[in-house]
Amino acid sequence: MAAVPPSTGFFALGSMVFSPAVLASVASVTDERLTAYISPAVVLVLCVVAGIGTIMLLPGKREIAFRRIGGALLGVAGLLFPAMIYRPGGGHLDAAGVYFWIFSAIAIVAAVRVVTHPRPVYSALYFVLTVFASAGLFILMYAEFMAAALVIIYAGAILITYVFVIMLASSASVPEGKPAAAVLGEYDAVSREPFIACCVGFALMGVLLFVIFDRAHDLRPPSPEPTVDLSNPETIQGTAQSVGNYLFTNQMVSLEVAGVILTIAMVGAIVIARRRVMIGAEDAFEPSAEMSPILTPQDDSPASVPVYGTRNPRQKGHPET
Amino acid sequence: MSELFAVKFSWLIPLLPLLGAMVAGFTGAKLLKGRSHWPIWIGVGLSAILSISLLVGMLGLWHAGQDLTVAKDLYKWIDTGNFVAWAGFWFDPLTAIMLCVVTGIGFLITVFAAGYMKGESGYFRFFAYLGLFIFSMTCLVIGSNFIMLYLGWEGVGLCSYLLIGYYYEKPSAREAAKKAFLVNRIGDFGFGLGIMLIWKAFHTVSYFGDGVGTNTGVFDLAQAAHLTAYQLTALKVIPFFLLLGAVGKSAQFPLYVWLPDAMEGPTPVSALIHAATMVTAGVYMISRCGVLFFGNQAAMVTVACIGAFTALLAAVIALRQNDLKKVFAYSTISQLGYMFVGVGVLAPVAGVFHLVTHAFFKALLFLSSGVVMHAMGGELDMRKMSGLKKVLPITNILMLIGCAALAGVPFLSGFFSKDAIVAAAFARSNILGGVMLFTALLTAYYTFRLYFQVFQGPLVIPEAPTDAHGGHGGHDHEQKHNHEPMLMIAPLILLALGAVFAGYINWPNRHASFGDFLGQCPSLKQGYEVAKASYGEVDAAALGQRVAGAEAEAPFTPVMAISAIVAIAGIFAAYELHLKRRAKAEQLAQAAQPLTAIIEGKFFVDEFYQWLVEQLRWLGSKLDGFDKFIDILVAVVGNVLQLVGFMLKTVFQRGYLQGYASAMLFGVVVILLCFFANWNWLWTLMHAF
Amino acid sequence: MTTIELQHFLAVGAIMFAIGMIGFVTRRNLIVMFLCTELMFQGVAISLIAFSRYNHDMAGQAFVIFVLVIAAAEAALALGLIVLLFRTKNTLDADAWREMKG
Repeated sequence: MAAVPPSTGFFALGSMVFSPAVLASVASVTDERLTAYISPAVVLVLCVVAGIGTIMLLPGKREIAFRRIGGALLGVAGLLFPAMIYRPGGGHLDAAGVYFWIFSAIAIVAAVRVVTHPRPVYSALYFVLTVFASAGLFILMYAEFMAAALVIIYAGAILITYVFVIMLASSASVPEGKPAAAVLGEYDAVSREPFIACCVGFALMGVLLFVIFDRAHDLRPPSPEPTVDLSNPETIQGTAQSVGNYLFTNQMVSLEVAGVILTIAMVGAIVIARRRVMIGAEDAFEPSAEMSPILTPQDDSPASVPVYGTRNPRQKGHPET
Repeated sequence: MSELFAVKFSWLIPLLPLLGAMVAGFTGAKLLKGRSHWPIWIGVGLSAILSISLLVGMLGLWHAGQDLTVAKDLYKWIDTGNFVAWAGFWFDPLTAIMLCVVTGIGFLITVFAAGYMKGESGYFRFFAYLGLFIFSMTCLVIGSNFIMLYLGWEGVGLCSYLLIGYYYEKPSAREAAKKAFLVNRIGDFGFGLGIMLIWKAFHTVSYFGDGVGTNTGVFDLAQAAHLTAYQLTALKVIPFFLLLGAVGKSAQFPLYVWLPDAMEGPTPVSALIHAATMVTAGVYMISRCGVLFFGNQAAMVTVACIGAFTALLAAVIALRQNDLKKVFAYSTISQLGYMFVGVGVLAPVAGVFHLVTHAFFKALLFLSSGVVMHAMGGELDMRKMSGLKKVLPITNILMLIGCAALAGVPFLSGFFSKDAIVAAAFARSNILGGVMLFTALLTAYYTFRLYFQVFQGPLVIPEAPTDAHGGHGGHDHEQKHNHEPMLMIAPLILLALGAVFAGYINWPNRHASFGDFLGQCPSLKQGYEVAKASYGEVDAAALGQRVAGAEAEAPFTPVMAISAIVAIAGIFAAYELHLKRRAKAEQLAQAAQPLTAIIEGKFFVDEFYQWLVEQLRWLGSKLDGFDKFIDILVAVVGNVLQLVGFMLKTVFQRGYLQGYASAMLFGVVVILLCFFANWNWLWTLMHAF
Repeated sequence: MTTIELQHFLAVGAIMFAIGMIGFVTRRNLIVMFLCTELMFQGVAISLIAFSRYNHDMAGQAFVIFVLVIAAAEAALALGLIVLLFRTKNTLDADAWREMKG
């Protein structure tokens, strides 16, 4: 873990104790489906294990084996949790239920890999996998159009762009004799303060899960299924048609605005990423050659932190107040 | 009395000199230049005419037997609920006399100064300050409450500083100006405390009532039948505070040290401020506050003793001074001591009378020395010049008149006034009288020592010194050069006339004597009552009161004869030692050597004060160190907080965007927890284990 | 329980959101940071579709369309900015942009 100042330690510790406890509050008295089966202590232990596993899994200066152990821990925790929620028997297995679990598993595992993989390209690819799994979930929820849109837009456009940019922006200096692909930028190899991030993240997750499961009875009852007159083919609308109908009747203005936003984004992206070319100047704007190399702080003292992007060797990283 | 022309237009008396000063000050640099004296001449001259018309009018009313007091309030100057001070005037005989002295002699001196300061750089500055001074002094004497008095008091102090430091390029002049101001400040501090105490005890600062015609001034209240215990205690203490101010302003011991140094200023300044007017403010104040002083026996004794001691001390120091102006400076201090003695022995008439005559002859003496200085190219050392009567014939005669008046030669003004004081001193205490007489002897001696040295004997003209004052170079004595221009001589002649004849205004046995006139002043009338209540038996004539059945005073008393003999003896001694055989003076001085060294060292008072100031400075530096220590303590608090902030900064603000984001998320999570979490888990958790 | 209820979908969405958040705060590579924000969008989209299905209201799906629009626009601009930042400092390290320090 790079440059974790000691004072975040106790924050991390506090959150670590805090968040699993929050997660344990999922097991509240009011949810009868859960209380009988999950004891708070077990949930606490599971969350702690999951947290530790995530931390170990996040990129850092560790050996591969260490990270694999972390991954294994996370996987175990991840499997145990649904296993405790899932009640076998008691009714037919809903076909959709199986697919739900499968897609969810793929989505969550892929998401974890997006976050914890040291290589950006792999993160993007895992993200594609997440997108596909999400699309599957969408289909389970009778939102086929959205699923298709998701795949086309995300996997087909956005992620391609990401991959392109990753390719363009890779500039880690390559020592001789090693293939470029094997070199990881230091910023990729080391993550920053995984402790506090995980604690906060798991706390958030705990709260969300708690609210979802504990306040389920606060949800208003589901709206009744709209009656479909099967005799009249005209009134049968597929998802796409319903969505389109809704969009163009209720959200007309928003639709136009969305179009405008896209146009602006396109123009903006071109303007931002323009390379300034000076007429006549051979070496127009080449700051890379003049900039100081990437430096890492030697220790935790703020005075030793180097200042990027300056040619003044005497400019201190931390000006005296 | 309020229908007098001068009273109706009395607001012009201070205003005209002030306007003159402003005109001279603002336009003198570029516009008027060498003619800057005209606004001042006009302003002070008109003011003098008004003052004299006031006096004449009052004399006429007096002969008609009418009341001689009037208050004229212009506007409510300070109005802050409890504390009210009017910008107002109070006219009575004392005011009239003082006004005439101030503006009259002031005018003569401005005429002289136009000739004396001709060609000086900063000419306009001099006259502007002079006008400002006249304004302040008139406010002082004409004011109807203590705040006007204080205004004038401070104003003359300021103008004194400005004028002493006129040659501000000279370091000694700067130092002298500062010394004058600071020493005066000490006195002013006491004076201010006195005024505050007066207000605290009597809830008013006016002399004879706020607004017109209300008899609720301090002097009325102080005489009331029933005074509270606080007021009685205050009355015991107030005179001493006021006396402190008078001691500072009138250069008495221990605050006299500024006056000799004040001779750094131009000679007209010395004449006006440090001989005739400003230094008399203390005597005026004590006379004005007669009600407060005359009943307080302790205060009176203090006044008299301070005066006597100062007179003797200054006269002794003057014996060995060699600088023309310094001799007269110490002489002034000595004569002021006389005035204080006069007031202190319940003879304010004598004190004020001496004030008037002293103004004439001392101004004359100073201005004559100015002429001498001018002629000698700025040389001031007596030992270097001699026999100047050949070069400055008119000045010779004028100087002789002035010296004779100062020494108390019979039938000149100084004789009468000084004798009145000596007689009053003898009436109170023989020792006091003896001291005064001895001082008169010394006065005669040193005065004529100067005269014989400078004007008589063989002619010796000194080389002009290199740093002649302010730029007057040495004159070339080969060519015919008029050292006595009419502009400078005419005022001197007038002053000499005053020095000769002013003594006769107090010729006793006439109903219209100076003392009787002055005695019409309510300060003296009420003072008489208070003194009678306190002392039992008081010489009414000394306070200007006529008591039915009192015997008429004889014009010539035995004391007069004795003081005449003393004066002649002093003159004779000076003649012997400084004219017949000059070496004898030096031999005598060498023979009395340790005493001579002490006298020449001015009794080392200045050195003592310097030592005192050094001690205070040492104390100040220690306190400064302590203060710095406190500063460090305070700074430590700030530094600790800064350090904490810095530490927090290194923790929380390291520039990582994601750090900030995670902190924000942390906050969001905390909020969510507070809202949504079910804290029963805590209990269940505890139960589970 | 065998029936998959609304809560399960919401749970998945919540978990994905939380994981995305962890990644955003932890990773130092600028591109991966933005990828994690996309991941958060995914979680939100799942929740929206789930609610849409639960309430039989097409508004949820329409909202997801807009979410996609915004995600696309934001991706375009963000990547443009990343390219620009990269050109200045020649690194994708988020730690390089620490002028907000102190």
